[in-house]
Amino acid sequence: MAVIEARQLSKSFPGRGRKAAPVEAVRDVTFSIDAGERIAYIGPNGAGKSTSIKMLTGILHPSAGAATVLGYVPWTERRHLAQRIGTLFGQRSQLWFQLTPRQAYRLLGDIYGLTRAEAASRVDELGLLLEATDLFDRQVKGLSLGQRMRCELAASLLHSPEVLFLDEPTIGLDLVAKQRFREMIVRLNEEKGTTVFLTSHDVADIEHVARRVIVINHGHVIYDDRVSTMRRSILSHKLLEVRFDESPGVLDIAAVEILKHSGLGYKLIVDTTVRSIKDVLDELLDRFVVGDISVEDPPLEDVIGNIYESPER
Amino acid sequence: MRIVLASMRTAFLEAWTNRRSFWLQVTMMMANDLVWIAFWVLLFNKVGDVRGWDARRIVLLYAVLTTAAGLALGLLANSRRIGRMAVEGELDPVLTLPVRPLVYLLTKRVDTSLLGDLIFGPVLFFTLAGPTVERTAIYIAGSLASAAVLVAFLVLLGALTLLIGGKGEQSDLGFQAVLIFSSYPLDIFGGATKFMLYTAIPAAFVTGLPVRLVDEFHAGTFALLLGGAAFISLLAAMSFKLGLRRYSSGALWTRA
Repeated sequence: MAVIEARQLSKSFPGRGRKAAPVEAVRDVTFSIDAGERIAYIGPNGAGKSTSIKMLTGILHPSAGAATVLGYVPWTERRHLAQRIGTLFGQRSQLWFQLTPRQAYRLLGDIYGLTRAEAASRVDELGLLLEATDLFDRQVKGLSLGQRMRCELAASLLHSPEVLFLDEPTIGLDLVAKQRFREMIVRLNEEKGTTVFLTSHDVADIEHVARRVIVINHGHVIYDDRVSTMRRSILSHKLLEVRFDESPGVLDIAAVEILKHSGLGYKLIVDTTVRSIKDVLDELLDRFVVGDISVEDPPLEDVIGNIYESPER
Repeated sequence: MRIVLASMRTAFLEAWTNRRSFWLQVTMMMANDLVWIAFWVLLFNKVGDVRGWDARRIVLLYAVLTTAAGLALGLLANSRRIGRMAVEGELDPVLTLPVRPLVYLLTKRVDTSLLGDLIFGPVLFFTLAGPTVERTAIYIAGSLASAAVLVAFLVLLGALTLLIGGKGEQSDLGFQAVLIFSSYPLDIFGGATKFMLYTAIPAAFVTGLPVRLVDEFHAGTFALLLGGAAFISLLAAMSFKLGLRRYSSGALWTRA
């Protein structure tokens, strides 16, 4: 059953200056999302991700088109919808910087109509789920960004929402905090069945969180498919940066091409449809004297370029 | 009502986090008010009566003004920040909650220094403005109506930012204008200026009418004050609601 439906949803903002043409942030976006899905809604900066999510949560009124979330029209039935969805914006806080998260949760509990006992029990439960109990009694201003995001997530989940909208929740987090956050989202979806709608411009969010990916660029949906399908057809490469301690000589490794090298530093591209990244790393470490190595996803711009070049599109 | 009380409690908790700073700001504002009053009392003692205004009436004016300002700008501190909050996309977190956005916005922050006004006003009234039961009742009703007008005027200016754009500077200009005109006796103005103070910059409703009522109650004037407060409050609420339809979030770095 569809919990989120968008039909030709569009939003334009007035241009700057009297004669400037309106800026079309989102154009004719159409998709349908079923209960329990994990969606990555990705695109580069300026693609229309946040504008879409703000229309679906009732913050913005669209210029054209229609949408329903849990059967509600977000911008006309915002308060009813807000009671049943959770939202987390990576750059907006629901907490009070001078207070502790627990003090903020008390207010949010009142807002969502929870009794004091219900709110307290829910906070305890979320503390365990998000491994954040020890953070709830510390002043928000003293928390690291990763810790704060876990407390923000608890605030979004206090009323047990059926759909969770996350707008760039991993932005600014370090690698460890990002991975931890992603694991929590997946666990929440698997244990509670919460539908997850995540916007990101980080390719890794697709692979670690989502089962389905919708790619938006210049306001248009340009790709909508399962992550496994995308992995086979589009996300077929990883980038390796390797610094050897000794010259590797001729670097002949199956499924690996040299993009560039300078001295002992090499930038390699691995075709992961031919060999797994683990196999390639094992061979590199076995055959050569490696000083440092890092694995990266291709930039989102390259992924989008591949989507446009894909013969299926 | 539960949400309003919970929101105000949280706002107070935050203001109360640093108690020394809290009391310092409150005390400084009260000292500032005291200096103003001292200046006016000394002036009137020197020049005597000006168009029916003397030191006793100016004390009453300041009691009403500081009480109303304390309520409108101290307790409901976001009233003068709505335009700027809209421009900076700060309405987003409020709009994701199942609350009436304007009420929640107004109650979610207190301005500590202006709470000094809220203490100073009643103290001034009860010590120097000749409180009787009747005068006290009218002072309370008048100050509440005055605060409603102040809040509504500032919300209206904030809503203008949503409706016509800008950086929220209308609220700052309006805030300065209404406070300046409210801090002078209404009777010193005449003609077009006086008309303006009943309309575009409703300073007459902030101090002029409440002070007149405390001194001499008149049902028609009281009805005008309450009617004016109700009208501008309704206008502000409707404008804000209409403005939300044009809210563009405004966070350029989050708007994808």
